[in-house]
Amino acid sequence: MLIRSAPGAAPVMPQLRRRLRWLVAVALGTFAILVGRLWQLQVLRGERYHEGVIEKVVNTRYLPSVRGKILDTLGRPLVDNRPAFNIYMTPASAVGPVVDRLAGLLDLDDDERRQVVDRLAAARRRDPNRAVLVLEDQSRDRAALVEQSKFELPGVSVVDEPYRRYLYGDLAAHALGYMNHPTAEELAELGPRGYDADEFIGRYGLEREWEHYLRGKKGIERYVADATGARVDDEESAALIRGPKFEPPVPGNNIVTTIDLDLQQIAERAVRWHAAAAVVVLDVHTGRVRAIVSKPSFDPNVMTGHLTQAQMQQMLADPRKPFVDKVLRQHYPPGSTFKPVTLIAALEDGVIAPGEVRECKGRIVRGHRTFRCPGGHAHGKITVVEALEHSCNVFVWELAEVVGIDRLAEVARDLGFGQPTGIGLNGDVAGRIPTRAWYEARGGFKIGYTLNTATGQGDVAVTVMQLAQAYAAIANGGALYAPQIVERIEDAEGRVVARYEPTLRRRIHASPQTIEQLHRGMWAVVNAEGGTAHDAASAIIEFAGKTGTAQVRGRRRRRKDGDAQPRKGWDPTRDHAWFAGWAPARDPAIAIAVLVEHGGHGGEAAAPIAREIFEGYAALVRERGGRP
Amino acid sequence: MTRLGLARATVGRPWWLRFASRFDWPLFCTTVLIAGIGLLNLHSALSGTRHEALFARQVAWMLAGAIAFFAMTAIDYRFWERFAWFLLGGAIVAVALVYVAGVSVKGAQRWLGVAGVTVQPSELAKIAVIVALAQFAQEAEGGQLTRRQIAVRVAALAAPVGLIVAQPDLGSAVLVALIVLSVAYFTVSDLWRIHAVVIAGLAALPLLWERMETYQRNRVLCFLDPESDPTGLCWHTKQSIIAVGSGRILGEGYMNGTQNQFKFLPEHWTDFPFSVFAEEWGFVGGVVLLALFAFLILWIVNAALHARDRFGAVLCLGVAAMLFWHTAVNVAMVLGLAPVVGVTLPLVSYGGSSVMTVFLGLGLVSSVSARRHGF
Repeated sequence: MLIRSAPGAAPVMPQLRRRLRWLVAVALGTFAILVGRLWQLQVLRGERYHEGVIEKVVNTRYLPSVRGKILDTLGRPLVDNRPAFNIYMTPASAVGPVVDRLAGLLDLDDDERRQVVDRLAAARRRDPNRAVLVLEDQSRDRAALVEQSKFELPGVSVVDEPYRRYLYGDLAAHALGYMNHPTAEELAELGPRGYDADEFIGRYGLEREWEHYLRGKKGIERYVADATGARVDDEESAALIRGPKFEPPVPGNNIVTTIDLDLQQIAERAVRWHAAAAVVVLDVHTGRVRAIVSKPSFDPNVMTGHLTQAQMQQMLADPRKPFVDKVLRQHYPPGSTFKPVTLIAALEDGVIAPGEVRECKGRIVRGHRTFRCPGGHAHGKITVVEALEHSCNVFVWELAEVVGIDRLAEVARDLGFGQPTGIGLNGDVAGRIPTRAWYEARGGFKIGYTLNTATGQGDVAVTVMQLAQAYAAIANGGALYAPQIVERIEDAEGRVVARYEPTLRRRIHASPQTIEQLHRGMWAVVNAEGGTAHDAASAIIEFAGKTGTAQVRGRRRRRKDGDAQPRKGWDPTRDHAWFAGWAPARDPAIAIAVLVEHGGHGGEAAAPIAREIFEGYAALVRERGGRP
Repeated sequence: MTRLGLARATVGRPWWLRFASRFDWPLFCTTVLIAGIGLLNLHSALSGTRHEALFARQVAWMLAGAIAFFAMTAIDYRFWERFAWFLLGGAIVAVALVYVAGVSVKGAQRWLGVAGVTVQPSELAKIAVIVALAQFAQEAEGGQLTRRQIAVRVAALAAPVGLIVAQPDLGSAVLVALIVLSVAYFTVSDLWRIHAVVIAGLAALPLLWERMETYQRNRVLCFLDPESDPTGLCWHTKQSIIAVGSGRILGEGYMNGTQNQFKFLPEHWTDFPFSVFAEEWGFVGGVVLLALFAFLILWIVNAALHARDRFGAVLCLGVAAMLFWHTAVNVAMVLGLAPVVGVTLPLVSYGGSSVMTVFLGLGLVSSVSARRHGF
């Protein structure tokens, strides 16, 4: 039952009428104030607003810093900057017709036009008075067109900005890296550090790892513009600017790498016949990377800023994985290149003495399985040196059985396997060195695992860089250096900011006699009549090393016919071909590790690549007035 | 279920004559005038942008609004009395639903998708709040509500405000609060309570500040100190002032307001239509439009005074308060006298929910007005 006012009575109390008057007065007062303000704006100041001279705005423009160059060890640029014409627009001045005019002037296609409109819209929400990059890296013709029509295009400007240039295209691309615009998520994180959607950020390799040194610092310019976006320079406007009007950009630091451009080019050329390969050349006495190749590669010039989604998809779908750094990020079974590990263990433990003879009958039977030398070939009575030369499996297996899998793992770790190399690039992976415990955690240990490990098959996995590092240590007599790719940092004027010395990780646990046995064996691999890499022996420079053939797992069928001719084809059922070694054989200067993915036999596919690189190196040394 | 509260004098005449004699013509005509100006202005504001299609949608909303207006007129407003709680509950649920199933627009979840159209519950909630206010005032007239009942009603009114603040939709929250306070000013006998609420509200401002997005804070900051950041945060306001100023006494002329870049602001037709209007029609046009609003508001207050019961009176006052605050805050914002908050100008701003809300409110007034004569 609702209570209603009595019929005929005023429903609103007299007290409320008073209040109502008050409120009506307040309402009318408010309207009066609004009308007064309209009067002030439209009648008193109207003319001035109409002429558009009253409102000024402070615009901010960032001045790009020049990114540091990446140089080779002799100071030759590998990556520098080139001028690029970027077209910027200030959203506040870029009214509709301007976009149309620009589109007509430059004959923009639909995608470009959409990009301009989208970027303007996004920037308008952020800060309408800050110029935004709408068209990047335009042709000189387009830049000139815009420059000529400046007056019909308020708020449009052409800025000549430094763009990244990779002078040798895909050369050492995985090590150098590429650049790209930060994504929206990254901006949320990087924004406070002064990154902007229009800028580039290092995406891979040195560009990513050394971003902080290369980047430099942006400059800032603040200026006053009137309502039409034109610059105003007078005392009164200058007073509007808070903070500095101009801060010059600070150029980034240059990075001097350890890479030797000539040797790098030789190495890149040496893998030309193969679809997928990885090569690394180290300085034996310092661990400095002289050449680093991962094939197939990509062209960072293309990757930087212009890559379409479709191109990206195509590259990602390539089974040869062009984006994977095969030197540092991919691990493979090392095959026979791993045999020195077993031999070091056996020699150090006194299981076998230098010169001691064992007989190889071509096969051994363990449990239900028969393990064979390649083709069941019996090598007869042989020593450590000859076992290396012929790459005899039985010899190594019998030693491995005695020393045991855990001892093999210990020596392998001592040589740097199973852990990152410490190069600090592309997050180099650890690989895998199995132990008895590792197998027991996975369903039990069998003696066969020891045999597999001894010959670098099965569950052993190493990176190309690890192998090169270990062979460099064997070559120099036992000093294990961390691979190093950055020699020093210089500022733009060439003053040294930081210098990086070689890092000696440790001396490996192998006596001079042991090392000497390996040296002799690996000399024989290449230079003795029966060596597995004898076909690759060079008349120009004597080198030493070890071949390896790593079985590819899960193959539908094995192809044993190692083609004499390296093939261009890509056959994922074939074995990986390895060669690791050093040159000159008797006075080691550089160490190498070569992997040809699915290349077949190490002696046929990988060793010739090493020879070509060593011969190129010898020519280089002579050219530079030294003796190889 | 409606009771036609018709005066005896009209019995026996044809229905349309009865309708015509009872109908509040000044209210309707002023509304039509403002809506017409709004459409005209929207057409100009949208021209040359990518959003010209919005014009047709606004016309459709206007027509739907007119139908709603007549339907509300035909229904005896007292019909809504019994649904006050239901409406308020529905509004609270709808506003809360935004959190669960809301559509995000520009980072703020304020819309709900219903049958293919998006509605903004915080707009329509205003009507529910007004009906609830009127119903509570009616209940309180005899002064026999216990303290507890009063507390429940105050809480029920505060709930949508709190929820809208949290969206965060500063403009709508402040408006609902202003409507409630304005009406309370007429209906609560001892004013100190209201003042206490106002003071409490002011004390809660820091909390509101916490809930605000950075851009909203910037707007307030730049309003408080226009020189604080000349690099563009206050850009909307500045451009708006330039546009209004350029209008001078007689305006640039219809469809000619392209002199400044304000036309290319994103969505200036929702929050800044008055800016476009003042630029094109000048001081004269601006004053005429403000006068129309002032007349409409005073006319509704007048209808409140002649309402036949307290429920109707408070309904009218609520609608008057809604229109007044919307107009005052929006125009002040356009003229740089208030921070930029998303408050629409009734019938002139683009927006279906806003148009519908205004027409529903005016329909309530029309219903009260048509039944103002005694039994």
